Amino acid sequence: MNVIELKNVEKVYNDSEIKVHAVRGVDLTFEQGEFTAIVGPSGSGKTTLLNMLGGLDKPTSGEIIIGGTKVSELKGSKLIDFRLHNIGFVFQSYNLIPVLSAKENVEFIMEMQGVPSKQRYLRAKELLESVGLGDRLDSRPNKLSGGQQQRVAVARALASKPKFILADEPTANLDTKSTENLLDIMEKLNHDAGMTFIFSTHDQRVVNKAHRVILLEDGVVTSDERQTPHQ
Amino acid sequence: MILSISWKNVWRNKTRSLVVVISLVLGIFGGIMALGIMQGWLAQRVHDGIYKEVSHAQIHNPQFMLNEELQHTIINYDKVVAVLDTMKGVVAYSQRVKVFSMVQSDWAATGLVIKGIDPDKEKTVTEIYQTLVEGEYFGGNHKIPSIIIGSKAAESLKLLNYQVTKEKIDSINTDIFPQVLIEKLKRIGDKRFRKDKDFRLALKEALSPEEFEVHSESLIKYFSFYRMNTSLRITIQDKNGVIQNPVFKVRGIYKTSNSMYDGMFAFVDRKQLNQYTELNDNEIHEIAIISNDNESGAKVGDKLAEYIPENSTMSWIKLSPEIAMFNEFSAIMGYIYVGIILFALAFGIINTMMMSVLERFKELGMLMAIGMNRFKVFGMIMLESVFLSLTGGLLGMLISGIVVSVLSRTGINFGMWAEGLEAIGYSSMIYPIVTITNYISIAILVVITGMVASIWPARRALKLNPAEALRTE
Repeated sequence: MNVIELKNVEKVYNDSEIKVHAVRGVDLTFEQGEFTAIVGPSGSGKTTLLNMLGGLDKPTSGEIIIGGTKVSELKGSKLIDFRLHNIGFVFQSYNLIPVLSAKENVEFIMEMQGVPSKQRYLRAKELLESVGLGDRLDSRPNKLSGGQQQRVAVARALASKPKFILADEPTANLDTKSTENLLDIMEKLNHDAGMTFIFSTHDQRVVNKAHRVILLEDGVVTSDERQTPHQ
Repeated sequence: MILSISWKNVWRNKTRSLVVVISLVLGIFGGIMALGIMQGWLAQRVHDGIYKEVSHAQIHNPQFMLNEELQHTIINYDKVVAVLDTMKGVVAYSQRVKVFSMVQSDWAATGLVIKGIDPDKEKTVTEIYQTLVEGEYFGGNHKIPSIIIGSKAAESLKLLNYQVTKEKIDSINTDIFPQVLIEKLKRIGDKRFRKDKDFRLALKEALSPEEFEVHSESLIKYFSFYRMNTSLRITIQDKNGVIQNPVFKVRGIYKTSNSMYDGMFAFVDRKQLNQYTELNDNEIHEIAIISNDNESGAKVGDKLAEYIPENSTMSWIKLSPEIAMFNEFSAIMGYIYVGIILFALAFGIINTMMMSVLERFKELGMLMAIGMNRFKVFGMIMLESVFLSLTGGLLGMLISGIVVSVLSRTGINFGMWAEGLEAIGYSSMIYPIVTITNYISIAILVVITGMVASIWPARRALKLNPAEALRTE
């Protein structure tokens, strides 16, 4: 079943005097349970594509359809609400709320969804245990390592029960061990729960784990291949 | 959780928030003290105006209001008294005879309004008997009748004298005045000075310039005394137009917070005065009425005007419109003070909130990306601003509350400006008043300030593009 469809998506930045054609005529579909890496050199349009997939940016032309909803046409609070209920985000620099504990960071998104407090607590605890942080529920981000923070971010992304998770270079700031640990967790979530993951990455270790690798060059998809993940 | 995040966000940069909190504490403290002093000041003026001067209402013959002549006494006096005795809201009343007179001592003369009163009844209406600084409030069996005059009139009649007596020298406080100075004072001798100016001059000659500078005011006060039992010759016209010259002896001197009043009115026993005015016991110029409080006092005045339309009845609001105005505007003036202070402080809050928003661009972008709507982002920033201002505001109110509660008992002495203040009817001792309503209103003003001050920074946050904000470092 198709979860995400991109139809002839273009993105042109007109901000400065020079027009920047960041994404050109991209057609892609993603299915439920995919574990996809989008790769390409810097400036190839990976982040722009990911931002459009996440509803943070709008395509100049073309359509993005997620679960039957034309996201590219949503505006204002409808768009924010759509993001809240359908998309999980994991950022390169973790972006946790520094004044909240790990558990509260995970609970926060559920509170915005209106989940009752008892349920929030139980789910946050369960998610943090599933990413191996059952003993750090009350730690604030500054008391956690980079790897641990990124695992909290994954738990937070999962908390809203999204259709898929977008991860923008999630391992860029992590050491090898933390990267492996994080990838194992994401792979397990993909395998056991069927969670769809889409990464943008430069990291070969992430590429190796992916089931599908999309190469983006100068805003154009130049290769889209399925592979058997390396162990 | 938004509440908890906002509160925690306030304390992210402790130093910065503390600076705002401290400025709010100081500002609120200043505002509340100004409000308290102003209200205390005006409340004292209103109280003195009513309980020492005009009372809650007064009844006169309408003719007397136009032309204060002896024959214009209250019309239907017996009916008026019967009404007053039965009317609800009338707590006490006092009948007075008012005559304009020239008063002479052996050394000077001045014009005074003499009020002939029933001393015991007057006590239930005015507090003049509590303001005696020298002598006694009537009583005693004296051949020559008594008169009570104000301190300002006593000065005009040169009854305030200065004398370096042996008794005073013996009981002088040697901790304050050095022995050398006391020796110099002895040189002035036992001479009596009738003018403050002359005694000052004598002190200037006896003391060194430094000693004079430091001690003259307290010495003048210490060696001053009122000449009691002095005979005053009073010139009045009786009912038939015949000039009378009775003699009264000064047996009491009062001092209210209004020196103009102290220089204008003297009190004698009505029965004794009537021996010279030829008025009988039912002929009265003025009845002053006291009610339970100022509000019911005004109502009683209006009611009486309906019951006894042949006379002129005026409540304190008409008798002393400036007092009524003070009563009305004292709180408003205070709020204007607090408002101006908060307006200035709002810029400090805006600055702090703006810095806090600019520093958190990436985080705010993330919050919006993961699905926090603009309304909630706006609310969070507004809450931070309200928490910040309320922390300072409540702390400031707490400190002011403690200080005001102490000062409302001890009072604040503005003695150095006493003369000027008393000339316009204000006491130099001020007991600040701040009511619960004042505190609640100020708390509301602080919250509003916090909310208004957050609008600009919060709008700035709302303009964020999450995708761009996430890219910032």
